[in-house]
Amino acid sequence: MTATISTTSVTPTRRRRRSARLSPLLVAFVLVPFLVESIWVFWPALQGFWFSLTRWDGMSPPAFVGADNYVELAGDATFRGALVNTVIWLVLFGGLSVLGGFGMALVLQKERRGVGFYRAALFTPVVFSLVVTALVWRVFYQPDGIADTLLRAVGLEQLIRPWLADPQTALYAVILPALWRQIGYVMVLFLAGLKAIDPALHEAARMDGANSWQRLRHVTIPQLKGVNAVVLSVIVIDSLRSFDIVWSLTKGGPYHSSELLSTYMYSTAFQSLRLGYASAIAVVIFVLALAVILGYLVRAFREEA
Amino acid sequence: MSDFDPGRRRFLGHLGLAGLGALGAGSLLSACASSASGPTTGNGSGAVTIQSNLSSPQAKAAMEKLIESFNAQGKGTASLNTVASETFRTQLPTYLTSANPPDLYTWYAGSVANDYASRNLLLDVSDVWKSLGDYPQSLWTLSTDGSGKQVFVPMNNYWWGFFYRKSNFAKWGVQEPKTWTDFLALCETLKSKGVPPIGIGLGDTPWVASAWFDYLNIRINGAPFHRELLAGKQRFDDPRVKAVFTRWREALPYFDPKGKAYPFQEATTALLAGKTGMFLIGTFFADAAPKDALGDLDFFRFPIIDPAVPLAEEAPTDGFFASAKTANPTGTKALLTYLSSVEAQEAYVKASSGIVLPANPKARASDSPLVVKGKAMLDEAKELTQFFNRDSSDALQPTADTALTKFIDKPDQIDAILREWQAAAEKVFKG
Repeated sequence: MTATISTTSVTPTRRRRRSARLSPLLVAFVLVPFLVESIWVFWPALQGFWFSLTRWDGMSPPAFVGADNYVELAGDATFRGALVNTVIWLVLFGGLSVLGGFGMALVLQKERRGVGFYRAALFTPVVFSLVVTALVWRVFYQPDGIADTLLRAVGLEQLIRPWLADPQTALYAVILPALWRQIGYVMVLFLAGLKAIDPALHEAARMDGANSWQRLRHVTIPQLKGVNAVVLSVIVIDSLRSFDIVWSLTKGGPYHSSELLSTYMYSTAFQSLRLGYASAIAVVIFVLALAVILGYLVRAFREEA
Repeated sequence: MSDFDPGRRRFLGHLGLAGLGALGAGSLLSACASSASGPTTGNGSGAVTIQSNLSSPQAKAAMEKLIESFNAQGKGTASLNTVASETFRTQLPTYLTSANPPDLYTWYAGSVANDYASRNLLLDVSDVWKSLGDYPQSLWTLSTDGSGKQVFVPMNNYWWGFFYRKSNFAKWGVQEPKTWTDFLALCETLKSKGVPPIGIGLGDTPWVASAWFDYLNIRINGAPFHRELLAGKQRFDDPRVKAVFTRWREALPYFDPKGKAYPFQEATTALLAGKTGMFLIGTFFADAAPKDALGDLDFFRFPIIDPAVPLAEEAPTDGFFASAKTANPTGTKALLTYLSSVEAQEAYVKASSGIVLPANPKARASDSPLVVKGKAMLDEAKELTQFFNRDSSDALQPTADTALTKFIDKPDQIDAILREWQAAAEKVFKG
């Protein structure tokens, strides 16, 4: 199947390349966005690398300090904590939103009466801005709030604690609302993927006597490969740039216990006014995102080859 | 369609130009800043733009009224631009360093203003001060930068204290304490009555804890040591700083445990509802208090710990400074002169929530008993301090937030906390 596709697709490309002169309009469509992009995206990104090698308070001119910022990062306990928290965030937030989103998509894929309502209900949190989400959840977590009332109702009042102010629970208390929102989003991606699976495949598997678990394992999941790549990229990027919900719920506190790399970068830059050091953190985030995404893409391509 | 085409080309042309401009300026940040800095005056006679962070409804309305009456006088025109506080705080350095900055800013006196002044970003307003001869010496000193010129014009100040409801204190049968021993005894009494004695709100506003640090430090070690510490001339792991926490620890069992989880606004609600006994806070908390509760509020000064230490109080001063790059220094100074006048300050005090003291000594403050008592307390003080971030810098504040919330949670780890605080502070001072 793949072989036929590649041979048929190669010939027309070759023919086109030989015959067509590049239309100026086409060149403009490539070059103009590239120019705009290079001014508004690539240039600041490169500048960020430069700033990470300087000491800069945002007012005086930046002073070149070489790798000092990176050396300091290596010994910075808050940075290490933020890095660990980001990994926890990646695993818990990423993993659970994939599992939850996939589970919900499986449950809600069949067209039944009222299924639209449930899909809409699960998707609703995605519509709210994260800051609004944070406000809602803050009411939930506040002392004597809904969370505490619920626990008291089921006789678990010994568990009650200041959820967002306890360093033991703050990070997890923030992951929950982030998940609450992300699951609906991931569900929609998977629903689209599930819809694209040819029902004949399931039909054939059923004829061969595959039970529903085997059909899920050997038909559905392999067929979702394309969607998985999208979901993974979305999750990794969303995890590494998660900021707004943490900032609006805890600001990385109490004493850095729910600090992520992104919140640490922000507070270093705009509260402590150490823009050079913050740029170094930003570079680390960038490298991490690139490593995870590239790592996955390389593996994915190797599997296809 | 043919109409559309040149328009689009012109649009793209603009984009290209903007881009070149950005490259020319050498930094995209500064280019963004200059385009974000709002209306520009251009020539020397244009309207003075005043960038204000007074965004609470009453204060905003009060400022609008002031600008209106200034414009009506015909000595110049001004336009007010109110920005949310947090945005203002993070944008202020960008405003001041941009090529075409707003002319006048609401902000704080003391070390924050001096820091900008030392970078030559603030306008010399010594001319304005010539007409402010009757302002108290303390405010004059506060408004003078390291090189001896005035860079700040104060509008008003307010005070911090232990606020409580008179009716509740009467109900519990307790009196205002004068000394630390009295204070701890009062806490014990309230605790025995089932009331968390000391309210606090660290949830979203961990900086409230800095008031405790400031006050304990100026009561135990005195205001000069406090200022030196915040200026980086003393160390946070000094035994004298540890003494502050030893005292604080005596009061820790009396703090409202829920205070860790909610912001100071909710701690205010808790105090007004009688769910906590008292609350160390600045008068601004009353902005959120219902008017009928105001009459029932009273406060006492932070208890005396060592009678030998000269009395100091926290009295953060708010006011204005102007950009050194203003295109219209004459108009800006005219507006500053107006804002420092008796008329303007009385109008502001009347229109705002009212628990502030005008900087102009001739201006009448509100004559509520609370304000009279507050003014008397500040007049009695030998020294005035501002507040942690105003005596040090906004950049140092997060280090205090971390150290102090951690101490409240884990007082046993105080030695480690102070070491970490010193390390974090050194980084800030280093830049």
